[in-house]
Amino acid sequence: MTALTRPGVRLARRATTRRHGDPGRWIFFAGFLIVTFALMLPVIIIVLTAFKPASEVNAFPPTLAPHQWTLDNFRAIFSELPFGRLIANSFGFAGGVTVFALAFDSLAAYALARLDFRGSRILLIVIIASLMIPFQATLIPIYQLVSQLGWVNTFAGLIAPRAADAFGIFFLRQFFVSLPRDLDNAARIDGASEWRVFRSVVLPNAVPALLTLGIFTFVNNWNDLLWPLVFTTDQKMGTITSGLTLLTGPGGIIPQGVMMAGALIAVLPLAIMFLLVQRRFIESVASTGLK
Amino acid sequence: MKKLIAVVATAAVAALGLTGCAGSTGASSSSEKVSLTFWHGYTEADGGVLDDIVKKFNASQKNITIKTQTKTWAVIDDTLLPALSSKNGPDIVAMTSDRLPVYAKKHALVDLDDFYAKPSSNTSKLKAEAVSMETVDGKKYGVPSGFVPLSVIYNKTLFAKAGITTFPTTWDEWVSDAKKLTVDSNGDGTPEQYGLVLPDHATVGNGIWPSLFEGNGGSITNAAGTKATIDSKANVETLTYWANAIRQDKISPTGTDGIAADKLFTAGKTAMEVGGPWMAGVATASKIDYGLAAIPAGPKAQAASAIGISLGVTAQTDTAKQQAAEKFLAYFNEKSTATTWSLGSGWPPLRTDVSAADVDSNATVASLTKIAPNTRALLPGVVDSTDVLTAIDTATQKAVAGGDPKQLLGDAQSSIQQALSK
Amino acid sequence: MTTQQLQRKRPYRPPGQIGGRTRLNGTFKRRATIVGFLAPALVILAAFVGWPMISALRLSFTDASGFGTPSFVGLANYVRVFTDSDILKAMANTALYAVLFTPVSIVVALVLALVVNSPRLPFRGFFRSTLFLPFIVSLAVAAFAWSYLLDPQIGLANYWLQAVGIRIGNVLQDPTLAMPTVVLVAVWKNFGFYMVIFLAGLQEIPKSLYEAAQLDGAGGWKRFTNVTYPMLSNTMAFVVIVAVIAALQAFDQIYVLTGGGPYRSTETIVMQIYQSGFKDLDLGFASALSYVLLIVTLLLSLVQFLFFGRRGEDTAS
Repeated sequence: MTALTRPGVRLARRATTRRHGDPGRWIFFAGFLIVTFALMLPVIIIVLTAFKPASEVNAFPPTLAPHQWTLDNFRAIFSELPFGRLIANSFGFAGGVTVFALAFDSLAAYALARLDFRGSRILLIVIIASLMIPFQATLIPIYQLVSQLGWVNTFAGLIAPRAADAFGIFFLRQFFVSLPRDLDNAARIDGASEWRVFRSVVLPNAVPALLTLGIFTFVNNWNDLLWPLVFTTDQKMGTITSGLTLLTGPGGIIPQGVMMAGALIAVLPLAIMFLLVQRRFIESVASTGLK
Repeated sequence: MKKLIAVVATAAVAALGLTGCAGSTGASSSSEKVSLTFWHGYTEADGGVLDDIVKKFNASQKNITIKTQTKTWAVIDDTLLPALSSKNGPDIVAMTSDRLPVYAKKHALVDLDDFYAKPSSNTSKLKAEAVSMETVDGKKYGVPSGFVPLSVIYNKTLFAKAGITTFPTTWDEWVSDAKKLTVDSNGDGTPEQYGLVLPDHATVGNGIWPSLFEGNGGSITNAAGTKATIDSKANVETLTYWANAIRQDKISPTGTDGIAADKLFTAGKTAMEVGGPWMAGVATASKIDYGLAAIPAGPKAQAASAIGISLGVTAQTDTAKQQAAEKFLAYFNEKSTATTWSLGSGWPPLRTDVSAADVDSNATVASLTKIAPNTRALLPGVVDSTDVLTAIDTATQKAVAGGDPKQLLGDAQSSIQQALSK
Repeated sequence: MTTQQLQRKRPYRPPGQIGGRTRLNGTFKRRATIVGFLAPALVILAAFVGWPMISALRLSFTDASGFGTPSFVGLANYVRVFTDSDILKAMANTALYAVLFTPVSIVVALVLALVVNSPRLPFRGFFRSTLFLPFIVSLAVAAFAWSYLLDPQIGLANYWLQAVGIRIGNVLQDPTLAMPTVVLVAVWKNFGFYMVIFLAGLQEIPKSLYEAAQLDGAGGWKRFTNVTYPMLSNTMAFVVIVAVIAALQAFDQIYVLTGGGPYRSTETIVMQIYQSGFKDLDLGFASALSYVLLIVTLLLSLVQFLFFGRRGEDTAS
């Protein structure tokens, strides 16, 4: 049935597109562009401030664009911070957490969504409940445990406590539950093991969800400040986000132009990653047969 | 992956066997080599100077090596507790002085009374007011590494435009000059330029209002830090005086905090700001021609609250490490080190026998040293300073917004008393 | 409506009944499979979430500070939670924040997700990526940007609006406006997160359903109420629960904007937890307060579970 409807859908969509290749579509576009611009005003401020000389950052009257464009802030970042090492550490930490969390969360989520067993619902609630304690309350016990294992100032200490997380399990479980059961049941009738069903049927169909979770996990860890600061007291292990705090001067004064430049460079890998991944959201629809 | 599962399983097993106590660091006898970790928040050029002092100390010692780690003050405060709770923390730590009483009270720092008693500690010539920051429940828990008065930074260009040639030295002159510097050119009731920015909450080092209260003979607590004294008649007068100047004469915007005040000064929107010594560098970067002056005297006294930094020895040190740390502190207190440090940090010297002339190679330090004699430690020995400061902020912000100073200070009095008796 | 949706509504049949093979292989193997899938995550969670939670629970009955030996204080910390006026105020603030933040951020995120998912919109990839930016910039710089906009004296918004005679004043320091402003900034910072979850959910809706609806002559709103919304129910359940949990733990976004002021009017429970744990070094009290928060959140979530559970057995399976 799916195979039959697919070309139909494509045709219909193309027809829709053609029908709306009219002014209405572009008015919609223009209107939304204005909305987007308004929403992005703070981001635009961040970007343009990175190119302002220090004397303009808090000048009055305030302006969006610098009067005098400068790259000094970027130069300062590279001269004041060991940027390469910080970025590499960030990739190691955020990337490591993302890889393990995606693997472990999807396995557990599959069990909760598909391998109906007694107590699965209670287990799910217990897992969700663990999200409800603020991490400020558990940070010190976690730290003591990591320290006991001798993992302070190591990637193991940074990554292991986050190698699975309740949010990811809950998130993927919701998506796995939404997938029509016909597919995996068909595979089971064909004699596939649960592992095969998981790997060859469920995972390929959950690509948008996996990418979404991957992005969230990566972004959250990349931007996390307190975690790397607490678990790595040695500056050699610092991440880009924790490294940027070192720009703070006496009295908590932050050279804002430099800070914006640093933030811009720090956010670039995330933005590029999302730009690449969001395409897959569309493609995955076309590539999964059941749609 | 299998390997990681194994590791994690081990972790889980370890976790179940845990009782919450941390492992010991192992004792070391005095003849062995001792290596210490030192966390500080001097992130600028001052950090380089401090690291040099440590290096020189290391070179002078056969068995002691100190390793410094630079973090921001906020980061030190956020990470010290977990680190020390597992004995992974620093052996020597620099912290802002408002934080020292809490750590002392909770036994995170070592009591240094015996150290102070030894002549070799070089502590006898330290400024008494600076040392008072280190005293909690009658015992000393640290050595000052910074003690600087709040001062007024002013915009010389705006002063020249208003025709003011000498900086005011009394409150009345201060307010009248500020009025001259306040400009409302379009007459809409909101000045385009303010004479002064006087934050009404979260002020620099939380010290502006305590400085003003003291200028009129008032105080926040008694000397021992056990009784609230904020609802005095003198303080009601002070708060009324300044709330009027801000509300009626509009010499300052309302609702600003210390950070917003810094921005207004660098934007050239205000002619004066009460700030820390670092504002000199910020003003230079913002291309503002500035001068530094003492906070003008109130009816009773010229007083300025201090921004203080202290060095403490943490409770994770064993006897050998504590002795080594004390050796460093003694070295740090030597006259020559103190002079180097004052010049390098840009803060006034901590010893009474280092004069302004000794540090005249740094103009900022020299001028700060001249106004330093009346510097007062802020809430020395008060453990729950956060609640005390919030109570002050609430009173001042509400008064500047139009509240009744007498009633507000009465409210603050009971909140502060409650915080002190916790 | 279509066969596919009808099938989805069908009660669940255990795989064992379909093929019969799993049952023949015996329950031991099946149990081993279940354990195999769950073990990696559960071991991590047990060690690094479960154990610390138990530690925190134990601490909540003591006067622990992180140093020295803690002594047992019974329920004293819990009594303090319900008698300290600052804590009660923080609870009220947190409730207000959650009531404002949750619906607003979900509606904004859903509307934007529908727009950037619409085939009518050209350059969808550009919009998707752009709208995600607020979520990925770090909080410190976002706070800078907002204060650059909102500063009452030198802020851009005030400066622009003054030209047309409007003064928005000192919104972050106004006891009544501070909370709505903080919510506004939090919605701005987080809508991208919920938008992307909705986008992923939208991808899972079979296009054939829309096609069928279109053949039935359903308009845009009808398509939304008859197809999109019911098919998003699992995503919606997730987003609502997660958003409520996040709102009840609001901390750093408010901390950087107002620090809890003016007059504690934006101070939240987690700010108090942070203050007692990391500033006052009163881990016992911080733990007790955390457990009170946990229990309140849990009760609220169970209500939501029942609500969403009744609406589709998929969630309740």
